[in-house]
Amino acid sequence: PSLPEGWSAEKDFKAVGTLSSASQRNLEPVGPHFLAHARRKRHHRTFSEDERI
Amino acid sequence: MSEPNGVPAEAGERFAIGISFGNSTSSISRINPDGKAEVITNEEGDRQIPTFLSYIDGEEYHGTQAKAQLVRNPNNTVAYFRDYLGKSFKSIDPTPCHQSAHPQQSDSTVAFSIRDTESETPNTVTVSEITTRHFRRLKRSATEYLGKEVNAAVVTVPTDFQDAQREALVASAKAAGIEVIQLIHEPVAAALAYDARPEAVVTDKLVVVADLGNTRSDVAVLACRGGMYTILATAHDYELGGSSLDQIIIDHFAKEFIKKHKTDPRENARGLAKLKLEGEATRKALSLGTNASLSIESLTDGIDFGSTVNRTRFELLSGKVFAQFTGLIDGVVKKAGLDVLDIDEVIFSGGTSHTPKIANLTRNMFPEKTKILAPATTAGSINPSELAARGAAIQASLVQEFDKEDIEQSIHPMVTATPHLRNAIGVQFVSGDNLDFKPLLHAETALPARRIAQYSAPKDGGDVIVRVCEGTREIKVTKPEPKPKEEKPGKTDEDLDGSDFDSDEAEEEEEIREIVWKTEKPIAELAVKGIKAGGKAEVMIHVNADLGLQITVREVGGQNAVRGAVEAPKTVENGSA
Repeated sequence: PSLPEGWSAEKDFKAVGTLSSASQRNLEPVGPHFLAHARRKRHHRTFSEDERI
Repeated sequence: MSEPNGVPAEAGERFAIGISFGNSTSSISRINPDGKAEVITNEEGDRQIPTFLSYIDGEEYHGTQAKAQLVRNPNNTVAYFRDYLGKSFKSIDPTPCHQSAHPQQSDSTVAFSIRDTESETPNTVTVSEITTRHFRRLKRSATEYLGKEVNAAVVTVPTDFQDAQREALVASAKAAGIEVIQLIHEPVAAALAYDARPEAVVTDKLVVVADLGNTRSDVAVLACRGGMYTILATAHDYELGGSSLDQIIIDHFAKEFIKKHKTDPRENARGLAKLKLEGEATRKALSLGTNASLSIESLTDGIDFGSTVNRTRFELLSGKVFAQFTGLIDGVVKKAGLDVLDIDEVIFSGGTSHTPKIANLTRNMFPEKTKILAPATTAGSINPSELAARGAAIQASLVQEFDKEDIEQSIHPMVTATPHLRNAIGVQFVSGDNLDFKPLLHAETALPARRIAQYSAPKDGGDVIVRVCEGTREIKVTKPEPKPKEEKPGKTDEDLDGSDFDSDEAEEEEEIREIVWKTEKPIAELAVKGIKAGGKAEVMIHVNADLGLQITVREVGGQNAVRGAVEAPKTVENGSA
């Protein structure tokens, strides 16, 4: 991180851009992390919701 | 795996194993009571079971016993049939079957004409039926070993297997009493076999899996992000494999034989079959020792033949074939739009990966920091012949309790509808006049994703700005002698080493190539005020599937967090899932 000079923004946060488009790819349905991902996606949970269970 | 509604649907319980089903060999595997994946032996004590079936007087032989029949009973021995499943006769390459029963057309499918009963007239047996018989034998071996009836499996297939081939495989296995819970890709299974080891740490990495088989070789580039795999590119060579190396041994010994006895043993079908079997054994012995012998009784015209060959000689003769292997690996990295510098690991899988020279040549292709996981280059690497089977066993243990529908639902819409980051997202640093970029989320990360990292603040602390940006990596080429300058045009002075990727390169006389990160596009700025001297800031970035972000920055140990959200771009080209 670096020092700011005369920088200010509301609540110290400033959005300056957005991400470039994503590429659609196929995940491999293998391994424990994928299964966790699939579980989150099917139940529309977020990471933190999933962790609480 | 705790699936909320994960009660097995069928009354009968599943007992699943992993199966790697190859053209040349197959393996069966399970998770042993210690929780480790393990390849199990059949009743003959083989872990790599030849995918061979042979018939004498109506009796069925399987595995090594069937393979031995190639010499005396080639017409009733079926081999190398995996790639014929679910294919039309026109689309197959019958070359590997020259020495065994020949494939024939039978309606829309491929069949073999073999005498598999006591009667003298041969029967036409489809490749599906052959596969069923093979699976029945595998099931029996696994059941006998485990003492409990095996009724399900996760089976590995090549990445280029078509839907018809997958369906035919599932149907054939089902006829043998094995429910295929899931078909998984061979390279992914190999990667999983490494990553599921207890000592392995989940990292973001790019992995090349070189699956060097007997009759074909397949190479794939995988992006491993947060333990999830995405295939970026694949390459296949259907003529390159261990048998290409066997041919070199065969030719070498045949020439020696001709010099002594003036006849070519390769012209006699049985002589050639013997040379093939023994030549393969010699080639495998050369992977372990530096010398190997070959001895064949009555090779041709009743003459016995015995000789030796050393590894150096073999490697000299095989130079061209080795170059084909390394060329295949190099080609797929390029196909993925990557450079060898990007690759973190090369996993060698498949029986031919035991050849030390192939791993050593690959070692020279990649930078020092790339891990080359093969027996010749890394102590503690997993036996390449077992990787796919182990991966299948791990996956089988994960999904065996799931409902069929659960698995199908999880596999299909989930997989296809996953956006991946096109560029890396990271934090920009300023040190002096130089701008530097450290990636936090790498390109090709599947969304949604979240990463947390800590960065040390400037020494004297104070107010700090965190600038989150998109970045791309470039290859900087530096000539050694005339003072270092950048080769690529269109680059700005923003480039600087300092990312964790450009580990010290070996000092070579050639040009030095290294990865540099370039900041592409700023996303957001956050200020953290009053960080103590020597303090650290923790940055958490969460990217949604719609490309929106949430960013949180706080001082480590501090109370106040700065957080904010960046909206998704308006021009989303793909509807988010």
